[in-house]
Amino acid sequence: MNKSIAVIGAGISGITSALELANSGFRVYLIEKEAAIGGQAASFCCKATEVCTKCSVCLVPRRLKEVTTHPQISILTNSTVSEVSGELGDFRVEVWQKPQYISLEKCIACGVCADVCPTEPKAIHSPSPDAIPYCYVIDATQCLRLRGEKCNLCQGICPTNAINFDLKPKRQELSVGAIIVATGFEVFNAREIGSLGYSRYPNVLTGLDLERIFKDQGFLKLPSNGREPKKIAFVQCVGSRDESHGYCSQVCCKYAMRFAQLIKYQSPDAEVTIFYIDLQTAGKGFAQFYEECKEGIRFIRGVPVEILQTSSGELEVRFENISQGKVERETFDLVTLSVGITPRKDSWDLAKILGVNLGDYGFFDTKEPFNSVETNGEGIFLAGTCQGPKDIPDSIAHGMAAAERVMEVLEKCK
Amino acid sequence: MQVRIGIFLCDCGGSLKNIDFLTIRENLEKSEDIAFVEISHNLCLEEGEKAIASRILRENVNRVVIAACSPELCQDKFIRLLEGLGLNSNLLSIANIREQCSWAHKGDATEKALELIRMAINKARLLQPVERKKVPVNKEVLVVGGGFSGMKSALELSQLGIRTTIVERESTLGGKLEELEGFYGLETSPKEMFGSMTRAIEEDKNIEVLTSAEVAKVQGEAGDFALRIRSGGKESSRSFGAIVFATGYRTEILPQDFELKPGSNIIPQQKLIELLRTPGKLERRPETIAFALDFSDENSRLPTLSTLNNALAVKEKLGSEVYVFYKNLKVDSEGTEKLYREARNQGVVFLKFEEKPRIYGEDGRVKVEARDVLLGEEVTLLCDLLVAEEKVLPPEGTKALSSMLNIETDSQGFYQDENVHLYPVASARKGMFFVGGCRGNLDLSRALSDISSASVSVCELLSPGEAMVEIEKVKADPQKCRACLTCIRVCPHKAIRLVRVDSEKWVAKIYDLACDRCGICAAICPAKAIKFEGYSDEQILAEVEAIYGEALNTNRKSKGKSKNAN
Repeated sequence: MNKSIAVIGAGISGITSALELANSGFRVYLIEKEAAIGGQAASFCCKATEVCTKCSVCLVPRRLKEVTTHPQISILTNSTVSEVSGELGDFRVEVWQKPQYISLEKCIACGVCADVCPTEPKAIHSPSPDAIPYCYVIDATQCLRLRGEKCNLCQGICPTNAINFDLKPKRQELSVGAIIVATGFEVFNAREIGSLGYSRYPNVLTGLDLERIFKDQGFLKLPSNGREPKKIAFVQCVGSRDESHGYCSQVCCKYAMRFAQLIKYQSPDAEVTIFYIDLQTAGKGFAQFYEECKEGIRFIRGVPVEILQTSSGELEVRFENISQGKVERETFDLVTLSVGITPRKDSWDLAKILGVNLGDYGFFDTKEPFNSVETNGEGIFLAGTCQGPKDIPDSIAHGMAAAERVMEVLEKCK
Repeated sequence: MQVRIGIFLCDCGGSLKNIDFLTIRENLEKSEDIAFVEISHNLCLEEGEKAIASRILRENVNRVVIAACSPELCQDKFIRLLEGLGLNSNLLSIANIREQCSWAHKGDATEKALELIRMAINKARLLQPVERKKVPVNKEVLVVGGGFSGMKSALELSQLGIRTTIVERESTLGGKLEELEGFYGLETSPKEMFGSMTRAIEEDKNIEVLTSAEVAKVQGEAGDFALRIRSGGKESSRSFGAIVFATGYRTEILPQDFELKPGSNIIPQQKLIELLRTPGKLERRPETIAFALDFSDENSRLPTLSTLNNALAVKEKLGSEVYVFYKNLKVDSEGTEKLYREARNQGVVFLKFEEKPRIYGEDGRVKVEARDVLLGEEVTLLCDLLVAEEKVLPPEGTKALSSMLNIETDSQGFYQDENVHLYPVASARKGMFFVGGCRGNLDLSRALSDISSASVSVCELLSPGEAMVEIEKVKADPQKCRACLTCIRVCPHKAIRLVRVDSEKWVAKIYDLACDRCGICAAICPAKAIKFEGYSDEQILAEVEAIYGEALNTNRKSKGKSKNAN
């Protein structure tokens, strides 16, 4: 009986599964495609006003730290699964690891390499202030050396000799008893709805953009001129509950209301409007939060069909105000599209490698109803949003549930 | 034992150029109790760790100060290193001279670095070792509540090799889920699900079931809860290592929403299911059935799910016209949007209101008047039956149990405070978990995740048969304690109890396994009897004195003077 587990994807669900299993004595290989672990949730911002609004983003860093220092967990970053064979209790997983060029063990993140890097933007840089592992990365498309030129400034100055350009992709074969798929989601690409003007007008942003802006800057400015926006709209259900996405993304109403409260808290004069179809206010404590939101935020039933930019740079929003039964126009300084959760486009490739099914809309499918963690492939389990939309607490619970089922199944075939 | 401090300074590969490490070393070496000050380039790498180890062993120091990057990054590594050398991990003090000093300032940061290091040294002088020890834990688990969540919890725990006892207030297992007629589009019915679960529990030797029984008293802490269980007028003592609460929820039709008298054509979901199961009892087929949603509050996924499932069942079995009055359809759970679309495809009509519809009785039928915002028109519907919305509430006894357990409830009265750090199922009390309906209204897939989360947490806590704890990291001094009970009242983890010392005196005792090291008791104790090692008053004041030593003393003196003057 093999007491090793492969977890594919080191977002919040994968990390949770890995930690639970490792704490119960399993050896875990945590396989991550990117250079840093943490996934989407690690890039989100705290949405507290003078009180905590329970967005749960702060649950991520602590788990990240635990997972990196856990002796039972091996983290493989820059790695993808290329082949899987075998069966429950005895899988062989082939993993290819892209060269990182900077040794995780040797890099002390002192930053002298970036100081000497001659390119602009710097080819060698820290991925983000709170990236884990905290190791510098090289952008192969920028780096002169990796583009065939002669440059070894960073290699020459690195105090710990952590940089090595001669590395080649590395192949590893893991032998594991079970596999957990925790590859997460993709944010809906708002460009697909051209009439909403995303990427055409600078002041049309997405919920994800807002996460990054608040995380990096802590406050909101108009991308077009750097001024403080006075009139802000949120458009719900962008890429959810439509013809090609027949499901609710479960997170957008919550983040939109939290952002709206945060904006009102930072600039009490700002007018914030939320356009919606059905507000999802269920969930622990959320109905009460909605009551608080109603005091300062305008809610309009009806989702805009078109956003246009006026000559003065304002955004004219055309929408049907359903409660009034009228089509109306109103101008805003900034519009945020509350984009939803969609399945990852590469899910299809992974499903093929693993021999498991994809279900509705391209999320990973489960074996039977009321069992959201087992796939049709025996010994292959699902955790988090790769199975369907979930918020952070639900993703954590799902990650724990996947770990529980792995323990149960492997206990049986002992 | 005399204090001997070893100090390691790390210049991060020579990159912390705005700190003059030689000046710092010169300044520090003067103290008698400092054995050495070593400057290194990369303490966090293997060679750095080796250098630390050999120097500590050679110089025989008993306190270690490390001035380097943020403790977030390397503290765990250094702790493991010290423990490997046989040095207690509590004897380490770290000064962050990179993120909070060198990187934060453009100009020279030597002076600030020196102050930060002096603070760490002053604290290190007062640090005491904290022993870590394994204590045995009871491997049996109690599940409170024998509904779906409780039964499923017991079955899962048993699969993980844990002996479980279910306590159920009623005379049989079973619960709310039975109120669903069916899962639309699925072969299995809730009834069959319960049947197979009940059989599995009966056959499982790892599961004991106590029906018509309830928890009368809970004492002790994680790993060793002592309970009194009341059954048939008698009480018995039992002990468990952990408790899973799965007490479910109850539903109620609020009379202010539906003013008609009972016995009218306004019925609860449960009554509708009985009608669907035994259609022979109906005098005539109801032509029109309406469902009400979002009348009492907008907090519930469960009424939406049962309405959609039951509306489809009505369509299938009775073929009646079906209308659903709603405000915001709660589709944020797995498969609900699909169910909603299916209901519309099957001809269920959804009427969206903003102001609450008015309801009247008329000739044995129910008249509903509402303004449909999608049509923008007043709608009047005469229906044979109106299925009333049920408000989902915490089960009876929740208040009593929560105050007995010292567990906070949320704004709706469900178990567990809205503390994200305890999500999904943990509580402020270690070893107590809350799953399913009793911690807020949940749909089935969320409840299932809850149950598994609790099972895996219980397993982690109890499976090894022992738990590692720091002994007396937080300790009440029996000499100073006046048994004023303040700490017992404020402790969110119920980790403090009164115990008798000598023969007469009662004093507070902090139980290491239950304690979460939050420090509230140490801060509030009026007699200053509770000491939180690593954060004691003396240690924190010593740190402050390292930078404001002079100022602090002057301040104290002047304060004393002004008191005298008064």
